[in-house]
Amino acid sequence: MSRRLSALIADDEALARHLIRDYLSRHIDIELVAECDNGLQAAKAIAERTPDLVFLDIRMPKLDGLEVLELTGRRSGVIFTTAYDAHALQAFDLHAVDYLLKPFSQTRFDEALHKARSLLGHAASALDTLLQSAPPLKRVLIRDRDQVQILAVESIDYIEAQDDYIAICAGGKVYLKTQSLADIEARLDPQLFVRVHRSYLINLARLQAIERHGRDGHAACLQGGKRIPISRAGYERIRGVI
Amino acid sequence: MHPILADLRKLLVYVLACLLAGSVAAGLLWFGGTADGSPALAFALPLCLVYGFIVLSAYPVCRALPYVRRRPVAALALFGGTTLVSASAWLALATAWNVAGQAFGLDAGFIAMNANLRLILFLAGAGAYVLSLLAHDVLIAFENVRAAVAGEAESRLMARDAELRMLRSQIDPHFLFNCLNSISALTSLDPAAARDMTIDLAQFFRRTLALSTRETIPLSEEMALCEHYLAIEKRRFGSRLNVELTIAPGALHCLLPPLTLQPLLENALKHGIRELDEGGTVTVVALARDEWLHLAVSNPLASHPATASDSGLGLKTCRARLTTLYGERARIVWQRKDGQFKIELAIPQPKEIEA
Repeated sequence: MSRRLSALIADDEALARHLIRDYLSRHIDIELVAECDNGLQAAKAIAERTPDLVFLDIRMPKLDGLEVLELTGRRSGVIFTTAYDAHALQAFDLHAVDYLLKPFSQTRFDEALHKARSLLGHAASALDTLLQSAPPLKRVLIRDRDQVQILAVESIDYIEAQDDYIAICAGGKVYLKTQSLADIEARLDPQLFVRVHRSYLINLARLQAIERHGRDGHAACLQGGKRIPISRAGYERIRGVI
Repeated sequence: MHPILADLRKLLVYVLACLLAGSVAAGLLWFGGTADGSPALAFALPLCLVYGFIVLSAYPVCRALPYVRRRPVAALALFGGTTLVSASAWLALATAWNVAGQAFGLDAGFIAMNANLRLILFLAGAGAYVLSLLAHDVLIAFENVRAAVAGEAESRLMARDAELRMLRSQIDPHFLFNCLNSISALTSLDPAAARDMTIDLAQFFRRTLALSTRETIPLSEEMALCEHYLAIEKRRFGSRLNVELTIAPGALHCLLPPLTLQPLLENALKHGIRELDEGGTVTVVALARDEWLHLAVSNPLASHPATASDSGLGLKTCRARLTTLYGERARIVWQRKDGQFKIELAIPQPKEIEA
């Protein structure tokens, strides 16, 4: 090891951060570059400082650990820490993602560190599949320069595909996000959001009526008067859900 | 005890019905030409009243042979036998009473008794008894249905209460493991604090287990539990958590279901203070007024949309528990206003406490 490694700790509890710091002090080649007490701060710090190692608590205020990964696209050098999250742990085991269960010993910590080190720089594909198989999103994160917007999925009216990004319409405002419509569709609850058209995904809770449009076309009328075209395949899909 | 005899109002109605039947019988005797008006009444009214009570003996008979266990032969023997006995008794009574009529100065008794009339009287007595048997069967069926429904409702209520209680007394694994992690961190940082936290944690769980089996406890005991809980959380949250307790001395002996306040504090920390960078102050106010315990917990809220999905669960459990114990009498309301979340409870107090 010629190069010193940088590490970041994200945990909302000061004592939990202290414990990791304590365990890290035995590894003189690792330098702690940031400590964050919420998910939003963690996401920013990861983007700015690109630490080699990230100790990430799953349950954090503002953004949880998985949302931090989703927002930053970070896939390597992540070591999850958690006290108890039945769902998350099941998924971790399923995808062979390593994690530290609080309270953990120095030995167990060193072991996880060793494993993470040996994989440094390699994006863990397990994390990709883990995130994709995670339960439907409850909120959508939108990065706008330094700002991060958090939208509750219930507040979304509809999502429109444009070139290589999507426009999320919520409460009269439009938020742009670089993601494909198919991608976000896969992460949203199919009982709530329906792809009615190649470039439209609508929130069923906002649907007021389905109008006939032309000879055998249809259009969805949303609350607030917005009309969205429904394709033939989209009409079949929406009839399957309602 | 027969349900009619157990209830004065039912008894009165039944006596009136017997007298009415007696009047009808007297009318029939009068029109049949066997007696004049007033002797017919004097004959029929007392007899019908007495026989009215004799036919009530069908109740124990019907209960002795419940419908589901009836076999044709046994039922026929029992019911036929009792009918015969009652009808014979009725005829004997009628004959005796008619003879007794002579004592009132009527030579032939109240009515002109003959063989034909005896047969009619016997058949009427037997018919009345059979009718009584049928009516009692129906009555017992109704009673059984009502008892089954009441029993089912009660057992459902009890099951629900037990479930809610268990839900409360369950140790939240996330909380437990996080505490142990904090203690593990404190052992090198501040061993004395680690020891204090271990004791608080032990006390908190010990009290949770002890209290959760009781139906209601004084607020003072709930506060003792909450103080251990808050001591633990203050170590975990550090300076971010402030708590202001305003407990009126008169409120301390008021009764409430165990683990009512503690989950509200947990909620305030989990969904309020935890989401705020600067932390904040949780205020608790308790006061006793006019046979009510008033509790209010408020905490600051973050402005960004938190995951609201499970925040309502604790409150719903709290409401469900209060409803099981107090019906519609207890009140629970919550509101978000000006960046604050406030929940208020009003719990009725038993009257003896006030005295």
